[in-house]
Amino acid sequence: MKKGSIVQVSGPVVDVTFPAGELPGIREALTVETDSGRRVMEVAQHVDSATVRCVMLAGSDGLARGMEVEAPGHPIQVPVGEATLGRMFNVLGQPIDQQGPVPEGTPRRSIYRQPPSFAEQSPSVEILETGIKVIDLLEPYPKGGKIGLFGGAGVGKTVLIQELIHNVATEHGGYSIFTGVGERSREGNDLWREMRQSGVSEKTALVFGQMNESPGVRMRVALSGLTMAEYFRDTEHKDVLLFIDNIFRFVQAGSEVSTLLGRMPSAVGYQPTLAGEMGELQERIASTKEGSVTSVQAVYVPADDLTDPATATTFAHLDATTVLSRKIAEQGLYPAVDPLESSSRILEADIVGELHYRVARQVQETLQKYRELQDIIAILGMDELSEEDRLTVLRARKLQRFLAQPTHVAEKFTGIPGIYVPLKDTLESFRAIVDGEADQYPEAAFYNVGTLADVAEKARRLEAEGR
Amino acid sequence: MRPEMTATLWSRTEPSPQQREKLRAFLDQRYGPTALEWVRDEGLKGGFRLQVGEDIYDWSLEGRLRQFQEKLRDLNPGREGIIPLIRETIETWDPAAAPQETGTVLTVGDEIATVSALKNVRYGEILLFPGGIKGMVQDLRRESVGCVLFGSSQEIRAGDTVRRSGKTAGMPVGDAFLGRVVDALGQPIDGKGDIRASDYRPIEAPAPGILDRQPVDTPMETGLLAVDAMFPIGRGQRELIIGDRQTGKTAIALDTILNQKGKGVLCVYVAIGQKSSSVAQLVGNLFRRGAMDYTVVVNAPASAPASLQYIAPYAATALGEHFMYQGKDVLIVYDDLSKHAIAYRALSLLLERSPGREAYPGDVFYLHSRLLERSAHLSDALGGGSMTALPIVETQAGDVSAYIPTNVISITDGQLFLESGLFFSGQRPAVNVGLSVSRVGGDAQTKAMKSSAGALRLDLAQYREMEVFTQFSSDLDDVTKRQLTYGQGLMRLLRQPQYHPLSQHRQVITLTAALSHLLQDIPAKEMKDAQMALLAFAEAQDPALCQRIDETGKLPPEDKEAILALTRRFLAERKAGA
Repeated sequence: MKKGSIVQVSGPVVDVTFPAGELPGIREALTVETDSGRRVMEVAQHVDSATVRCVMLAGSDGLARGMEVEAPGHPIQVPVGEATLGRMFNVLGQPIDQQGPVPEGTPRRSIYRQPPSFAEQSPSVEILETGIKVIDLLEPYPKGGKIGLFGGAGVGKTVLIQELIHNVATEHGGYSIFTGVGERSREGNDLWREMRQSGVSEKTALVFGQMNESPGVRMRVALSGLTMAEYFRDTEHKDVLLFIDNIFRFVQAGSEVSTLLGRMPSAVGYQPTLAGEMGELQERIASTKEGSVTSVQAVYVPADDLTDPATATTFAHLDATTVLSRKIAEQGLYPAVDPLESSSRILEADIVGELHYRVARQVQETLQKYRELQDIIAILGMDELSEEDRLTVLRARKLQRFLAQPTHVAEKFTGIPGIYVPLKDTLESFRAIVDGEADQYPEAAFYNVGTLADVAEKARRLEAEGR
Repeated sequence: MRPEMTATLWSRTEPSPQQREKLRAFLDQRYGPTALEWVRDEGLKGGFRLQVGEDIYDWSLEGRLRQFQEKLRDLNPGREGIIPLIRETIETWDPAAAPQETGTVLTVGDEIATVSALKNVRYGEILLFPGGIKGMVQDLRRESVGCVLFGSSQEIRAGDTVRRSGKTAGMPVGDAFLGRVVDALGQPIDGKGDIRASDYRPIEAPAPGILDRQPVDTPMETGLLAVDAMFPIGRGQRELIIGDRQTGKTAIALDTILNQKGKGVLCVYVAIGQKSSSVAQLVGNLFRRGAMDYTVVVNAPASAPASLQYIAPYAATALGEHFMYQGKDVLIVYDDLSKHAIAYRALSLLLERSPGREAYPGDVFYLHSRLLERSAHLSDALGGGSMTALPIVETQAGDVSAYIPTNVISITDGQLFLESGLFFSGQRPAVNVGLSVSRVGGDAQTKAMKSSAGALRLDLAQYREMEVFTQFSSDLDDVTKRQLTYGQGLMRLLRQPQYHPLSQHRQVITLTAALSHLLQDIPAKEMKDAQMALLAFAEAQDPALCQRIDETGKLPPEDKEAILALTRRFLAERKAGA
């Protein structure tokens, strides 16, 4: 085995010298023994003919110059296949669920692979029902497609992704991979417990590199999870659900080490390689003729700024985008989806059908009209509006409330049981509202209910309370 | 053969030929051919100091005393006490003439120093500079070491000698810290003498792993109705307090600390970049109200170097961890993390790391994430202790979407957003209902609180939106009108002056009466008085009920009915009296 020694340490970036001609290749994993156990680093650059620059996949504390580094000669390899199901791993593919090592003979794959070729691509045209009204109606998710949940801090990305796991993964026949990238460890614990309770864990593998871990870990853990998903797709021809929470942290970790690697900063301090890094990862998440990968990715929007380079770069890679908005969350409307910012590539009459298309567009038009009228209302008041505009405003406000619904995951905070609304009922209810068949019910009756039948019932209840 | 190295010998008197011969033999054996130079040093009282390359052999009186001192400092007095230990140490102590690695200060300024050599120094190790100043290694380069200083760079000159400590940055910890005020290095600053530490913990410790945790299940009562009812905090949760300056952020944290009296929770308050006088005032307040018995204050004031402000929250967390890993419940308040981020930005820019958004370095998220992840509810296997964190962040002009605020929001398990508009209109605590949230506390609420608070938060959020919308409408339907007066009444009930915590039964009675619309007809202005009168009435009429709620934390249907009946009687008497 090739052996080298540490010559320089600057935060998570470490320089190691090797004898001439024995330099390990870029992306190879190197190991160093410290007082607190073995640590791994990954080669990022060759700085001269005897020195490599590496990124630590652990803390740097306790490293010293002169420490011996070993190069086993391959990149990080993670276990794949059935043995990963029901287990929880770290970025290196080591189990962290206190249930012993993975069985001997489990295949391992390098976390670096080529994306599927052009000929292998298999675009999707079928709708994936989620039971969440606003999603199914306005930005239907394609089966085998790539879905992004965008939102600033604390507007409900993780709750929505967990609701999707609850609604979709439990019904889904294939395997699921959940990858936690730079999020809260507590959420990892919650998810682990929940999955074991609901019984989904037998067909799920979990991979975590959370926010307390060093940037090197957060930069690579998405690849570890993805590698496990690819194996099921390519080798076992399964339909795989891949959840990534949160893909922004992958970019963020890259920017943390970028300048230490000696690169010039780009816009807003991000790494110059931002688009390339994102492309390399995203192009691997794809459905092929071998099997499909439906991916749901949470995307954090720093400082609520959708034009942030990391966020903007991610948009281009997705088939459907759900944008969560703080303004809507502020009104207590959850899931706080912005119906006019979110979109889906498959919201076309050919794919979703004439009725769905018409209702969805009409809902958007009504909401758009209300948005335009808001300024006028603020200046002149409701009374100055024409009869038709007033009706539009009232309907829009009812639609806004009706787009919200109680979720299963949030039940423990709100005490209101979650509701799964079948697509059929969603379409029928919204059709009735835009066609004016629900004008008689008060606005409050539309809030936090499932279908139009629930609206009617809530209206009766409100009236009874009033009397 | 030409000597390859030069050794320098300092002593008061010139060495005799025999001494020279002995030294030469030692040097030749260890370093190969070495030239020996002698320098007279009047400052040395006895013995000598020998330097070869980076190695120093200190056999001077001062050096031996210092070694002894360090040896004593490392002693860990157990149950037997310190005297036998000292005796044993003196008996076995052998002043080591082992080489001690030293380096020389190359550059120094702005609380950053580069030091030559120190071949074996570890990343994160503490270096000792003359005058007792410490520095932490932040950069290991081929020929030099970069470090940040925990003291003024004024006292240090280029060319000064630097010694290794062999320790990573740490914090002395122990039960004796309770009731004390210390700086970021754990040294007392309250003038009450030394603190006997029982342990030394690294300031940067890994956060508990995913399976080292368990869900939050016990309430951390703040005593504030608005918080406990709508944004309940559980032990082990991280809840951000965010708002403009002067909106009562510290007041909420302080009320929470005060409300822990007799609840078995130990508190750590860390002030970062604050005015010393404000901290002194706060400490005085804690003393007066008997809260210092279970509280430690760590202070890194605005006048402290950026490096100390940077490590203060980590050091305070180490102190909290000492208690948490004993299975105790800890509450830690970081006041505030915006100033912490600013201190880290200063340090980063001085270390020539490139700036990103708002000139903060790229790893400013990691700065706070690795800190706040250390607060957790530990699994039973680890003793089941917990650390609840209340970080505070200051916003500018109410902008929660700025960089540091959104960063910290994305780390914590919820936030209490305080609004200056509400604050000045008398709605105190000025919690914005729409933008505040608690993601885990619901599980930790007692059954009584949970069933009586119901969907209060969502109702109020809808009320606020409705209030804005209806400003422009003249004809309101009855449902809407009732919703508006109901909302106004609730907002009044949520007002609460500082230092007036409400016990659980008081909160439960208030909520049960209000949410069943019984208080609907009381005018908003009289609401607060009516609430107090109702509580006094209930406590006088049915003290057993109140006690039952406090003790069991449950509200069975018959108790709920009892509260409603009491409220109706109270209202009837109130009407008769009016």
